[in-house]
Amino acid sequence: MHTTQILSEVLERSARRREERRAFLRAAGTAAAVAGGASLLAACGDDDKYRPTPTPTPTPTATSGVSDGDVLNFALNLEYLEAQFYSYAAFGTGLPSSSLSGIGTQGSVTGGRKVNFSDPVVAAYAREIAGDEIAHVNFLRAALGTYAVAMPAINIDGSATGAFTAAARAAKVVGATGTFDPYASDENFLLGAFIFEDVGVTAYKGASPLISNKTYLEAAAGILAAEAYHAGLIRTVLYAKGMTTPSLRTAAGQISDARDSLDGSSDDDQGITGSDPTQSNIVPADANAIAYSRSTGAVLNIVYLNNAAVSMGGFFPAGVNGVIRASAAN
Amino acid sequence: MTENDLLIETMDGRVRRRNERREMFRMVLGAAAVGAGAFAFASPAAAQSVTDADVLNFALNLEYLEANFYSYAAFGTPIDASLTTGTGTQGAATGGRAAAFTDPLVAQYAKEIANDEIAHVKFLRTALGAAAVAQPKIDVGIDPNGAFSSAARAAGLIGPTSLTSPTFFDPYANDINFLLGAFIFEDVGVTAYKGASPLLANKTYLEAAAGILAVEAYHASIVRTVLYAKGVDTRSAATKISDARDSLDGSSDLDQGLGDAGSSNIVPLDSNGIAYSRSTGQVLNIVYLTKAAVSAGGFFPAGLNGSIKTSTAQS
Repeated sequence: MHTTQILSEVLERSARRREERRAFLRAAGTAAAVAGGASLLAACGDDDKYRPTPTPTPTPTATSGVSDGDVLNFALNLEYLEAQFYSYAAFGTGLPSSSLSGIGTQGSVTGGRKVNFSDPVVAAYAREIAGDEIAHVNFLRAALGTYAVAMPAINIDGSATGAFTAAARAAKVVGATGTFDPYASDENFLLGAFIFEDVGVTAYKGASPLISNKTYLEAAAGILAAEAYHAGLIRTVLYAKGMTTPSLRTAAGQISDARDSLDGSSDDDQGITGSDPTQSNIVPADANAIAYSRSTGAVLNIVYLNNAAVSMGGFFPAGVNGVIRASAAN
Repeated sequence: MTENDLLIETMDGRVRRRNERREMFRMVLGAAAVGAGAFAFASPAAAQSVTDADVLNFALNLEYLEANFYSYAAFGTPIDASLTTGTGTQGAATGGRAAAFTDPLVAQYAKEIANDEIAHVKFLRTALGAAAVAQPKIDVGIDPNGAFSSAARAAGLIGPTSLTSPTFFDPYANDINFLLGAFIFEDVGVTAYKGASPLLANKTYLEAAAGILAVEAYHASIVRTVLYAKGVDTRSAATKISDARDSLDGSSDLDQGLGDAGSSNIVPLDSNGIAYSRSTGQVLNIVYLTKAAVSAGGFFPAGLNGSIKTSTAQS
């Protein structure tokens, strides 16, 4: 309820600032390199059955703010969130406990259940994306080895007190006292997925210049691509179903606006239609048709559902694990 | 034996032939200072065998192809002539026409993708400035011996052609054909940008390229999602095209079809959930439609402009 109130204020706000973008550029300029070993090469073997050797593992360097390991751990937190959401929606269960251990405080998942899909195609998509996100968790954990962070506490609840409802209220997809359950229907599942998907793309793109090791960089580029495929899939299905259910297009636009309000002054988010609602806008991109970047702070604004500089909230009630954990002050 | 060679030998213990991969690592490793783990440090382009401009010009050639195909399909015209100048031999994009869409959604997607690809051409030309390559000769026509028909024939979508009974593939004929034509390119763009990502030394270009990579993946996802939703026949046709790409670009399995009814495969990924990379030579195998090491063919009858223009010899 407090979250919702704060979020509502955020949405009314028109003053926009650019601190977090400048901070991001500074960080990009001073990103530390992580010295690695043979495992770094192995981590991006093109053999599709090959898994990276977990040692030696990347470690933070003392020379500057962000190491490759820190960036990958930041990504791992986001993958835990996506993997748990899709795994519950598609299969009714979360990740195995063996996939959750690591540095920091291990948490549990609040909420999450199997969607009773009516459209078998949407059910197939949910299973596919779940499998991909679980693979991302496993890949990052293997690449990070003993430096991998544990899964933090995650709230993917669709009840009145859940993070999804807080996000949907903030976006005005439901009223101030309404409930949003992403597991209740195909349409709700797609909108719930929409909340995350483009964020993953912008997070990986924003992190790309922070990664020093070329092998990790290429792997991250490959995960970025996977997230963009996922986002394109979700947006395409929402747009197509919007032919007969126009509220889906409207709701996607509202969610996009809410994300945009949370993460600071820059306009780095777009709904699934143009200003003319009959025009598609499946691909959120700038005038150069280049996808947007988000700083780590801006990403955390969205998943914490808070435009202030905080270290927990929303989908991560106890915050993310690792060095990068504070959202930006907007 | 250098550190780099040792690393390569270590990787090479696996059964698959990995020549292109090794070439790429040599380039990346060669860019780094000597020393244990030193390759981990991003290094200036000075020591690299390809410059950032070479890589971006390679991408620009591919964007010329995509932009012209979609521009013809969505608007009935090639891209504006003012966007085709530059170094190298300028050529025309010929043979396209407005696609006969019946599904308004597909028509919308075509317009959206066309505008994105034109924006990519403009962006890369601006970034490259006077170094930008001209648009090379591009074949997006429907001639029985043209690139689309050859690609479709290689995939088994159409039968052999002859003077008396020619066969051809027309990606402008209807919604499905347009989507299949688009499918020929889209995942290739993703793998090309991903494969090129470690070759870029400049972080600003790298982030921009990551943003174009993302957009290509969104495009690929649109095309794959719609083809999957259109049913069994289109899934099967798309999978044949994927197989044809895979047979052109060497022994590694870098491509995937759309899956089946119970199990979609919209996203082509390895077992780590990571998209594939293609070397520049492998990308050219596909757009030149050949397994041989050549410098022209298929969609680029006179080859690419720029320094990267040779496909890889595949067994």
